[in-house]
Amino acid sequence: MTAPRFTLLTRLPPWARIAAGAAVVIITYAYLIATRPTSPHGVGGSAALLALVGYLLGSVLIISGAMSKLTTSTVTLFPVAITINIVIGQLVRISGLPVHLDSIGTVLVAVLAGPAAGAAAGALSSITVGMTINPGSLPYAVTAATIGLLAGTFARFGLFRRVPTVVLAGVLIGVVAGVVSAPITAFVFGNAGGSLGQSAFIATLQVYGNSMLEAASIQGLIADPLDKVVSCLIAYSVLVALPPRLRQRFSFVREHSVFGIDRPAAVPPVRAEAVR
Amino acid sequence: MTTMFFQSGASPVHRLNPTTKLVMALAVTTTAFAIPVVWAPLVLLLVVLVPAVLVAGVQRPYARLLLLFSAPVVLVIFLLQGLFFPEGTTVLAEFGPATVTSEGLLFAAQTSLRLVVMLGSFLFLLLTTHPGVLMSAMVERGMSPNTSYVISATLQIVPAFRARAQNVLRAQQARGLDTTGLRRRVRALLPLVGPLLLGSLADLEERAVAMEARAFGSTTRRTSLVAVADSSAQRWARLLMGAAAVTAIVVNVLGVVR
Amino acid sequence: MIEFENVSYAYPTTAEDALGPVSFAIPAGQVCGVVGASGSGKSTLASAVAGMIPHVSGGRLSGEVRVGGRPVATTPLADLVTEVGLVVQNPFNQMSGAKFTVREELAFGLENLGVDRAEMVRRIEQVLEDLRIEHLADRSPFALSGGQQQLVAIGSVLVMRPRVVVLDEPTSQLDPASATLVFGALDALRRNGITIVLVEHRIEQLAELADRVLVLSHGSLVLDGSPHDVFTDELLPDLGVSSTRYTRAARRAAERGLWPESLPLPVLLPEAVRGFGAGLSVEHTP
Repeated sequence: MTAPRFTLLTRLPPWARIAAGAAVVIITYAYLIATRPTSPHGVGGSAALLALVGYLLGSVLIISGAMSKLTTSTVTLFPVAITINIVIGQLVRISGLPVHLDSIGTVLVAVLAGPAAGAAAGALSSITVGMTINPGSLPYAVTAATIGLLAGTFARFGLFRRVPTVVLAGVLIGVVAGVVSAPITAFVFGNAGGSLGQSAFIATLQVYGNSMLEAASIQGLIADPLDKVVSCLIAYSVLVALPPRLRQRFSFVREHSVFGIDRPAAVPPVRAEAVR
Repeated sequence: MTTMFFQSGASPVHRLNPTTKLVMALAVTTTAFAIPVVWAPLVLLLVVLVPAVLVAGVQRPYARLLLLFSAPVVLVIFLLQGLFFPEGTTVLAEFGPATVTSEGLLFAAQTSLRLVVMLGSFLFLLLTTHPGVLMSAMVERGMSPNTSYVISATLQIVPAFRARAQNVLRAQQARGLDTTGLRRRVRALLPLVGPLLLGSLADLEERAVAMEARAFGSTTRRTSLVAVADSSAQRWARLLMGAAAVTAIVVNVLGVVR
Repeated sequence: MIEFENVSYAYPTTAEDALGPVSFAIPAGQVCGVVGASGSGKSTLASAVAGMIPHVSGGRLSGEVRVGGRPVATTPLADLVTEVGLVVQNPFNQMSGAKFTVREELAFGLENLGVDRAEMVRRIEQVLEDLRIEHLADRSPFALSGGQQQLVAIGSVLVMRPRVVVLDEPTSQLDPASATLVFGALDALRRNGITIVLVEHRIEQLAELADRVLVLSHGSLVLDGSPHDVFTDELLPDLGVSSTRYTRAARRAAERGLWPESLPLPVLLPEAVRGFGAGLSVEHTP
């Protein structure tokens, strides 16, 4: 059952798998918006199924494509990044802050190693959380992948050089993440996935005549940008505090002068043997 | 806080090939979401998951965890969609802005049951399958060794880092640092993330070299020390479960079309 | 077994050469120590023998490195690892991190090479026995002491049955007792006829184990000889390498006429005991 599925996947080149994954996610979302399932039994019926299956398939394609083209040093960075996501996310959840901060590691990988690496780190992070802490995070893998993909793309175009543009990147990532995760929140979790405050807010939105998907999207559009701005700022402050030679080891950082300032590449290494 | 759900055991369920259990989790979840009958997920839970859990002998942690993860969500779904369902028409009762509709209750019941089955399917897989063995089985099926490495390595690092993070926070509190308010709390997190990333970036080259020295970059087909048993019965079972899930999807699509 | 022909190398981020040009050859079965001040190019040399230069590190390599007759630069790494194994400085970094027991950790390289299961089990048991770490087989690789972890790291390359093992400061992160454990393991490798290249700063133990010592300074090979010749060489302190404590003591004694002129300076304890014994009797017979 699974064997032919995987071999079929590995036959496609990596970039085609990433593109196909992104396409599946976008088509899934567009279809969910366009059909606006209204019949009583339709709600939560095919919409929930489509959101689950479409997003799962998209995430699997993106992970499989991205992971097969990464270098060993990038791969060895992943476990640390995902650990940062998991542990900081847990600490923040216990503390009752109005943010999640469970994607700092994803942003770190994306900024250092690019959009594909960021997307894979995000999706694998959700899967690992699903395997260890709460299976409920599995359907959200696609949101995490989107965050990594966008953070890497924004880093590629120089948005991670100064604080104001980092804030902008955070807002944009938050907007897209809020919108992408809304179908999962609405149809799979019946809008009840978040905290009590979030649910009360969603209830108010529904009372004022918004559909479930609209209510989830509005809630996401308000909560996610704040969360992603803070996450991006933390990732940014950690990265600029690093010795430049450590950042410059990543070819993505060098090629696109992600941090701008340390572009003159002849940074004298402290210990010649340790530097690529 | 646990890092792994896995409960070791020697039951026939534990000895199943992990892919069989993964296919089962995926097929049961898909079927639960595909069949547009309210009680269908309940049948799947009682007929498929509960017997499997009993055979595995993990019923206690299973019940506890399933309740822990699903009870809050189910409660909120009923409060939210039972009272404020936007598409309800058959009004049963009204309390100010809240309207109890039969459609809302139906939706809440259906979504809750589906969620319970989804969480239950994956909890069953995770409670009876060691993550390392699951990864070996997936690599045998053609999953990238990179992916397997990332997930297994993360499972190993998390406990150590969690302990370190709690120590740092406790030290901050002991020094009387004010950790109230968003700004301060966020700032308190920086000393956690920074050193971890710094250390790992400094080690990155050596780690990569050590991995390459152990043929991690090899393109040969991987083998595995841990024998992942399989049988033709299991192959047939996987095929059947897959077929059942596909049938359920087809039924769903046709039903909606009609 | 190992041949360096006019090898020089520069890292991708630096302009000047970190190594070379150097030429030397190490015959099969020899234990060759490599010493030098920090930044002298000893880690670079170790990486070059193991093929990590140029395969992983990139940079500019000229000249030719051959191991077992095969040119390292053009041999794929996956083929090279069965010829030459590399043990890195920090044993923690050598652990894959993805394995839950020592036995599985040892299997990592073999799994990557696609070795079949029966052969894998045979080799792992052999290595566990050779390194006397059978009792650790089912423990987590992260629940070990530094020394035990380094033995597992050595084992993790031995399972691939390389004819050459390169170790880059394997004891620098370890306490003396753990270091002794590692040197014991290396002695066992030597008896099995494995060629060893050992970058090491614990020179007493190195002098005891090595058949030959190379001294590097600013990327060049400046001394090459038996441990005795190298460690008693007058140039040594200028190269940022200290001699053994016995040599230092005897040299101090010789300045005061307390070391018998007929004897060469000692490197290890037995020679020192013999010489000081003779020196003391000289002093007592005026």
